[in-house]
Amino acid sequence: MIDNGFPLTTEPNILREMIAPPNIVSKVLSVVTGNTSNMSNTLPGATGSCVPWRKTDLKHSSNEVYVDLVEEMDATINRDGVLVKCEICGEVQVNSHLSGLPDLTLSFANTSILNDVRFHPCVRLRPWESNQILSFVPPDGQFKLMSYRIKKLKSTPIYVKPQITSDSGTCRISLLVGIRNDPGKTIDDINVQFQLPPRVLSADLTSNYGTVNILSNKTCTWSIGRMPKDKTPSMTGTLVLETGVERLHVFPTFLVGFKIMGVALSGLKIEKLDFKNLPTRPYKGFRALTRAGQYEVRS
Amino acid sequence: MFTQFGATADSLSKASSLMFRIGTDAHLYDDPDDVNIAPLLDSKFDSEICEALKRLLALIAQGCNVSNFFPQVVKNVASQSMEVKKLVYLYLLHYAEKRPNEALLSINCFQKDLGDPNPLVRAWALRTMAGIRLHVIAPLVLVAVGKCARDPSVYVRKCAANALPKLHDLRLEENISTIEELVGILLNDNAPGVVGAAAAAFASICPNNFSLIAKNYRRLCETLPDVEEWGQIVLIGILIRYSIARYGLVKESLMVASHSLENSNSGKGGSETYFGIKERTNDIGSVVCESEIAEMVSRSYLEGPDKYLSRPCSERASSFKDLSDFTSAKSNDDVKILLQCTLPLLWSQNSAVVLAAAGVHWIMAPKEEIKRIVKPLLFLLRSSDASKYVVLCNIQVFAKAMPTLFVSHFEDFFVSSIDPYPVKALKLDILSLIATDSSISPIFNEFQDYIKDPDRRFAADAVAAIGLCAQRLPNIASICLEGLLVLTSSEISDVDIASMDEEAIILIQAIDSIKTIIKHEHSSHDKVIVHLARKLDSIQVPSARAMIIWMLGEYNSMGHIIPKVLPTVLKYLAWTFSSEALETKLQILNAMVKVLFHAEGEAVSTFKTLLNYVLELAKCDLNYDIRDRGRLLQKLLSHYIGTHELEESAPDSTLHVLTGHLFGREIKPIPSEPLAYRFYLPGSLSQMVLHAAPGYEPLPQPLSLICNDTTHEPNMVIGMKQPGNGATQSESYETDDADTVSGSLNEESTSGYNSQDSRTGSSGTHGSHRSGSVSDDDEHAGPLIHLSDSGNAHGNQLGPRFNLNSDSNYLGELMSIKSLESWLDDNPGSTNNSVELNNVCQSLARISIGDLSSRVKPKSYTLLDPANGNGLSVEYIFSSEVSSISPLFVCIQVIFSNNSVEAMPNIQLIEEDSGMRVESSDQVLTSDESSKMSVNDVSTLVPMEEITKLERGQVMQRTLQVRFHHHLLPLKLLLWCNGKKYPVKLRPDIGYFVKPLPMEINMFSIKESQLPGMFEYIRRCTFIDHIEELNKLESPLAKDNFLVICETLALKVLSNSNLFHLSVDMPVGTNLDDVSGLRLRFSGEILSNSIPCLITITVEGRCSEPLDTEVKVNCEETVFGLNFLNRVVNFLTEPARL
Repeated sequence: MIDNGFPLTTEPNILREMIAPPNIVSKVLSVVTGNTSNMSNTLPGATGSCVPWRKTDLKHSSNEVYVDLVEEMDATINRDGVLVKCEICGEVQVNSHLSGLPDLTLSFANTSILNDVRFHPCVRLRPWESNQILSFVPPDGQFKLMSYRIKKLKSTPIYVKPQITSDSGTCRISLLVGIRNDPGKTIDDINVQFQLPPRVLSADLTSNYGTVNILSNKTCTWSIGRMPKDKTPSMTGTLVLETGVERLHVFPTFLVGFKIMGVALSGLKIEKLDFKNLPTRPYKGFRALTRAGQYEVRS
Repeated sequence: MFTQFGATADSLSKASSLMFRIGTDAHLYDDPDDVNIAPLLDSKFDSEICEALKRLLALIAQGCNVSNFFPQVVKNVASQSMEVKKLVYLYLLHYAEKRPNEALLSINCFQKDLGDPNPLVRAWALRTMAGIRLHVIAPLVLVAVGKCARDPSVYVRKCAANALPKLHDLRLEENISTIEELVGILLNDNAPGVVGAAAAAFASICPNNFSLIAKNYRRLCETLPDVEEWGQIVLIGILIRYSIARYGLVKESLMVASHSLENSNSGKGGSETYFGIKERTNDIGSVVCESEIAEMVSRSYLEGPDKYLSRPCSERASSFKDLSDFTSAKSNDDVKILLQCTLPLLWSQNSAVVLAAAGVHWIMAPKEEIKRIVKPLLFLLRSSDASKYVVLCNIQVFAKAMPTLFVSHFEDFFVSSIDPYPVKALKLDILSLIATDSSISPIFNEFQDYIKDPDRRFAADAVAAIGLCAQRLPNIASICLEGLLVLTSSEISDVDIASMDEEAIILIQAIDSIKTIIKHEHSSHDKVIVHLARKLDSIQVPSARAMIIWMLGEYNSMGHIIPKVLPTVLKYLAWTFSSEALETKLQILNAMVKVLFHAEGEAVSTFKTLLNYVLELAKCDLNYDIRDRGRLLQKLLSHYIGTHELEESAPDSTLHVLTGHLFGREIKPIPSEPLAYRFYLPGSLSQMVLHAAPGYEPLPQPLSLICNDTTHEPNMVIGMKQPGNGATQSESYETDDADTVSGSLNEESTSGYNSQDSRTGSSGTHGSHRSGSVSDDDEHAGPLIHLSDSGNAHGNQLGPRFNLNSDSNYLGELMSIKSLESWLDDNPGSTNNSVELNNVCQSLARISIGDLSSRVKPKSYTLLDPANGNGLSVEYIFSSEVSSISPLFVCIQVIFSNNSVEAMPNIQLIEEDSGMRVESSDQVLTSDESSKMSVNDVSTLVPMEEITKLERGQVMQRTLQVRFHHHLLPLKLLLWCNGKKYPVKLRPDIGYFVKPLPMEINMFSIKESQLPGMFEYIRRCTFIDHIEELNKLESPLAKDNFLVICETLALKVLSNSNLFHLSVDMPVGTNLDDVSGLRLRFSGEILSNSIPCLITITVEGRCSEPLDTEVKVNCEETVFGLNFLNRVVNFLTEPARL
């Protein structure tokens, strides 16, 4: 909500309470009663509290909190196949359904690797400064508690090896994908995407596993899915260049995507999650997930 | 059959879209006008009104003008339904400015809503009232904001802070001090949300009024992490400006260190590498040393780049030394605390907050500590493209002034293929700035990859960046050259015609980079030039060829190989001359002449023949530019090429000298030109667009704020840190200004303060926040309440009352609902009053001062100056008589005196023309009845008796009865004298729009309690007249000091307004000097409608010093009461006439 050009309220929790977002129940109610108002007549209590991100009187029948580590791996592999840059950008996502005004403490087993961090406003900064502990009163529902970045990783879970040779009006392309470091869990949703270079007339790409799609805007996508046990997926093909073009001197960059459930590649581990100010012991759930961010392989 | 099916499908899709829209108001937008809106607005059902209003808003959204519904809509403002109210407010905000007169009808409703128990309603009313932008109600809004600034609800206070800029936009010059005072109050608020909004108000209203910040500086720093993000950004900006203005630059910081380095040359530990680089770059000469840039950055921050760059170079360098005294981040606690409190903000989720905090450290932090901002800044690079660009622009500046910061983080600037072009270009630029000998090889490898990027423009930039790196790091220049040469050869080998344009830019850039590298160190690169010359055959791009030829000409005598290959190359060029492009031809001509000039031995004749041949070709060229150049050269060189005798023919002729200057000059390293970067404050829009954007202000002049009120600063901070030693603190509070802390604020602020304390404190017991706050209070209650109350300067004097107050504070805090109710039922001012009235018997003595009427000297105003009136001077005095004709008339005594040498006949004072009246009646603000009367009642002036003759030196007095239509606008009159007319203006004095209303003190307090809330207006001012009076007393004991003050105050009031002086409450304290608690009461009733008007003046302070006076007016007529209050404050503050 903006007042005179300056943000008056941007806290989603308060806004939601001021004007309820439409849902099935309210729609049915409005049809039945003929009253279309979903505007609240009272000021949300959170506006005055020092935890504006949380409703003052929350009640949940089942108290539960889920903590997810979601990491994205950014990597750059240069034309010589050298890993130039590899880093992880991770987020700690929390989904909390807790009654009252709980106080949570989350600590990590290996905080030493955390250098670059950004926090949700609910995180108290002093405990982090002194003991590297996340102490916070959570908002209700899904939110991003913290994001972090871990730089200078040494290896990636999979490798992608492109080979492009270009001569006499055609260009042969071959692409190999395989597992370099087994993370211990299955690698899903592997795909490789690249833009055909300009001045390519047509492309004929085949793969021994997965499907290859070429869109009209010259974007090629090779979807591999889960890595097969028995063979190494490869894609080969020929690009026909425009007439008059002898060979390519501009090569595409391959964007790689993958997803690994159950593993945080950075090695960050949650030690424990403590509760205070809760009547009953809630259910806790932890998950981890790593996926590719800006993972690019130059050729 | 099929058509039927089609119809079903159609209706099905309609039905499904309907499903989505059920329960929403989307259908209203389809055709908002399809029902008759007017009757709906008059409906008695809220739901129908609601629908009508929604339709109106839908029409507004579609661009229709629906202002003709204004009266009907405004009528609904009194509705009880919240939704209707909200919708009416939206409508009002849109149209009130266009229909000011009708909008005024809604004001009373706002006034009522401002007293509503629901804070949401109060907030809405305030926001709307402030948003309708009408000058006439501005004073009312100001009062409302003042009221809401002390509201118990945080949300309402926040809205009050947001309303201040709206008020300020109306440009109310007379109220600016009140607005600023309110900003001060809100900045002092305990709720972080309010502080954020107040900071925004401060920034837009009075960004340079640092005294407001001085009072709260430390507390603002402490609350900074709790303020919401938007407020943080603004507040950081304010705090850094304040600390620069107050303490100046930090002497360890980058802004100053670069300079002190030259003075003291005491390089501190931790920055050796930095100096190393600096020294080396200095050796190169043309590369600008970073410290120079750093100084330039700091000067630009302080003065703005335009001013700085416009000064001559010599002045620029010396200008910094006059700022000799800097502060130190190590010894200055205030600077330290700012740095400490902004440090955690570097972890914020909001990129703008991180950037703002980084800006503070960049400017203020000691140089060794600036590196703390690096990682958070680099983390920002993983966000949206737009914010990436902004961050990179700022990093670019940081990297220019202090490359060491980013040296080890070069990997972060590696370009990703999905970056947009501007981001890529910036990253390249930064990479070339921060490359060092150790990091150059990976960077160089990256650059080589970039050259193959599909984006050719970016590839060309990469080539340019290689050139820049080679300039900065001479060690790698040869490697770079090799790489670039490979590039030129590989590009040309298989570039086909079609892709020429794209590849051409890379080629040109490559040769350009080679050129710049050679320019810096031309001694050892002759092979490169020869190599390029060999490529001339294959390089087709004209500008690339032109550059190679230029290099040949420029460096023709360099090394051993070039002179040997020159004849062949020039022959080849002469052969291809006719087929070359324009720029190449020009360069061929130039190069030939240069070569000839430096040639020796037998080659000279070859060159001459070649030149002659080319000049002949040039003469018949199609392009006139070439023909001109050819002729010019031929004339210049006539004696070289014409006579075939080089040395003898007139060597001293001017032509010879000229030619020598043009072509034969020594090749010198290019002197480093003065830098002209434009630096703006980090994070500002101006830094993005590289010119001063509207609203941009450089940092304030260091040490421009002279602050002497250091006692203000420990205000809350000390309490926060060490609540235990309140005893020692209370003394400093006694001298504290009480004006920013009001009673009602304190009442609820303690609770907010407590919860905040437990939050910011590092104790882990925050979880028990709600339930635990009670026990918390038990521990802290004593010192805290003591603290908050001692803010009120008079608190310490009156022991019993103080305890009572603190008790009620304490209870109110526990039962916040009750305190809210009590606030709403009758406002804190009046509750205080009733409490005090009971207590008065014990601690105050009520006295009555004798009849002062004999000493009342009404102020006289000039109507006509003798200078303008041929010696006739007319003055007037508002008389306290009540008109006999109608209560609406004010009696004015007009005194005519003849100062001229002749007698004056026929003096008469009449109205100007009656046409003016209609216009002025528009502006009547009073209630409906009076405005009706003003239209009906034509005459505004009961004409006075004509003065038939006024002798010389004679003074005559007449009584004029005037009816002013407006309390503020002057009445235009015509003064006839001796056949001449003088237009004069009679200025009304609102002090005489009332008549005395005698009443008893009990009556007074009853009436006062009936007029709470919006009918009560308070302003503060300073009263100084009594000091003079006290000085007049022969001996200090001749008369009681208190009595003198009472009399001066009462006289001042009675001399300026027509009121009844009711009573005086005088403090009976031990301290004879402290007059706090002195209270005077006056009463009157408004002439026009006999509405009572009560005035209470309360005094605080010491006898011998200026008194802090609080004036309170209780009156049902809001506009009148407010204007009256302003008048009282005005005459109280204006100095007494001698």
